[in-house]
Amino acid sequence: MNRKLFLHLLISILSVIAFVGIWHLFTAVLRVVSVNTLPDPMKVFTSFIKKFSNPNPDGATLLQHTAASLQVALTGYFYALIIGIPLGIMMAWNKYIDRFVRPLFDLLKPIPGVAWIPLMIVIFGLGIASKAAVVFFSAVVPCVLNSYTGIKQTKDVHLWVARTFGASHHQKLFTIAIPTALPHILTGVRVALGAAWVAIVAAELLGATRGLGFMIQQSRGIYRTDIIIVGMLAIGICGGILTSILTIISNFLLKGRR
Amino acid sequence: MRKILQRMAQNSMYAIISIVSFLLLWAIGVQLSDIKIVMPGPWEVIIDFVDSFIHPVGRYTMPVHILYSLMRVVPAYIVGSVVGITLGILMGWYRPINSIFRPIYELIRPIPPIAWIPISIVWFGIGEGSKWFLIFLAAFVPVTLNSISGARSVDPLLIKCGEMLGASKKHMFRTIVLPFSVPYIFSGLQVGLAGSWATVVAAEMIRSTEGVGWIIISSMDTNDVAQSLVGIMGIGIVGFLLATIMRNVEDRLCAWTVREV
Amino acid sequence: MRVDSTGSVDTVISCQRVSKEFSSKRGTTKVIENISLEVKRNEFVVLFGPGQCGKTTLMNVLSGLDTATSGTVYSLGEKVVRPGAERGVVFQSMALFPWLTVRGNVAYGPKARGFEKSVWIEKSDYYINLVGLKGFEDSYINKLSGGMKQRVGIARAYCNEPEVLFMDEPFSALDAQTRYLMQEEIMRIWSTEKRTIVFITNNIEEAVYVADRIILLTNCPAKIKKEYHIDLPRPRDYTSPEFLSLRDEISKNMDRTL
Repeated sequence: MNRKLFLHLLISILSVIAFVGIWHLFTAVLRVVSVNTLPDPMKVFTSFIKKFSNPNPDGATLLQHTAASLQVALTGYFYALIIGIPLGIMMAWNKYIDRFVRPLFDLLKPIPGVAWIPLMIVIFGLGIASKAAVVFFSAVVPCVLNSYTGIKQTKDVHLWVARTFGASHHQKLFTIAIPTALPHILTGVRVALGAAWVAIVAAELLGATRGLGFMIQQSRGIYRTDIIIVGMLAIGICGGILTSILTIISNFLLKGRR
Repeated sequence: MRKILQRMAQNSMYAIISIVSFLLLWAIGVQLSDIKIVMPGPWEVIIDFVDSFIHPVGRYTMPVHILYSLMRVVPAYIVGSVVGITLGILMGWYRPINSIFRPIYELIRPIPPIAWIPISIVWFGIGEGSKWFLIFLAAFVPVTLNSISGARSVDPLLIKCGEMLGASKKHMFRTIVLPFSVPYIFSGLQVGLAGSWATVVAAEMIRSTEGVGWIIISSMDTNDVAQSLVGIMGIGIVGFLLATIMRNVEDRLCAWTVREV
Repeated sequence: MRVDSTGSVDTVISCQRVSKEFSSKRGTTKVIENISLEVKRNEFVVLFGPGQCGKTTLMNVLSGLDTATSGTVYSLGEKVVRPGAERGVVFQSMALFPWLTVRGNVAYGPKARGFEKSVWIEKSDYYINLVGLKGFEDSYINKLSGGMKQRVGIARAYCNEPEVLFMDEPFSALDAQTRYLMQEEIMRIWSTEKRTIVFITNNIEEAVYVADRIILLTNCPAKIKKEYHIDLPRPRDYTSPEFLSLRDEISKNMDRTL
């Protein structure tokens, strides 16, 4: 059993080596692909390291860009959580709110967050607020949707049990419906984070003076493909880390539920 | 039957009330605040939207813009989905294939398709090529992920059942693993479609001369907020239609997925 | 007990000194201990025992779905190591293919083994008819009631024309009324199409109603406690004095469990 596991790990490692090897072969050894199109892996690696301390060519170091992106993304995300989750819960719990809010929500839901960028810039200007608003629009949809489906999972039997104990409408919501919905709500929280991260990159591609999206867009203009790839990797790594943090938190919160 | 009709009539009444009150709030809000300098009222936007079907926005009318965007989305989406389903199912079912492709896939997965825009322009120019590449990624990544989890979740009892009935590994792959994964694949297709649509809008916003994304981005240069909202409406409607079509296809193809409880 | 149990043509399935242990972090649990038995052609054998004791595990080992920790299972003189077409199984949870129609499920075996279309159509027609599902050939599984689903399960196992049919508490998911009906049905089916059947149940009435021979198992670990040859004439009457006295006697010998 363990030997099999080791074998598969070995295949994976070989596969990565092959991938980087072919990349290196075509770029650095054979030079079929020009540096302006795709730099060799070593170059990307050194650029990645250098970018931590070197603000050239786009005016800020990698960590400064990352911090800028994170700041905006988390601002918008935070508002999406504190508005989206209660809204989804209320829509599922109260049929009057549902009837009035849902048509509007369904209307706005299919619009991708990116599409709001120009409008938000007109309303909020080019600063943090407009980008945070775009992030908000992207992240709020999964928050509402998942909270809503979560609450709808509540079993009638459980509600009946609560009623026989004389629980009030509010008590039923807080002691039965919300605990039932928790796994779904947490899924929404995670999906929303992914959406927020995508939205901030998009917003920075279109108009920003700092941030990872801005960094890769700037580098394109001057054909610094190494910096573009460094930026993409940073975006991927950051997104991955953020998601894993949330996964750990939600696993902790759902402990004992299977 | 009568009750259902009554319920439907009631629901659509609420929907109309809700949307009309939203539009009224918008109209009043615009009238009462300083924002009216830049922000048009709802009627203006609706009239502009209808007008965009007759008079061109930029070079083309709205349906032509939509068609341009769809021409970018559809072929690349199909290719991305086919590749994603094939690779995903194989990765989910055969451990060695998983071991080979997993690390590279995991490298690509967390990078949002939108973040590929700059490099795709470097690689494929500003034409259709770069957009097709982006849409391919937008479809490929989620479809692969869901196909993997589909093939992974196959009920082991059903596999034992197949063995018990004398089916070969190959036969079981086709008749058990594949059909079992279909609902999972469809949820990947659904996510991929929404992602593709968002990505094409983003790509058109960054570099293009036509398409629905272009409609909203060009409004920035002219400071025409009404046009931006017209674009948003177009994008929303097409996005909604795409999702609906997909859901109908799914219902048609998996009549059996009524969940067993 | 005959020593040479594998040579006899009349013996369809046999096992010798089969034991099964499951080991986890908390130690090992013995589920089956030293069971030897043989089943004759066209015999209806019931493995009967209380509670959660290793009946299903024993069946899994006999049918090849699981392997024994020690001891050997022979099917027609050949060692059993994996599931195979000559050993059909009807599962407690039915395990039907929901994406196939009744016809698709029943014909799965013959199709998988490469029979021509005319052959599998004919076979499946015959067995669908036999279990009383004529007219439901094109229905999907989810549209059927529990009893009908298990009819599909029986037809599916039968249609593959195995040497022996294992039925693992096939009616335990059904309501009491349907269960009686299905007991009559399985007797009717068996008398029309004689097969070797190893039937598992924890319901004493069911055991006495269907069996040629009842093998009484002890509670964990499962050992053979006693064997009963039931030669009451069929169809049996649940209320006849002979039936009741047999039922009493076996009950008395059964291990009590909580």
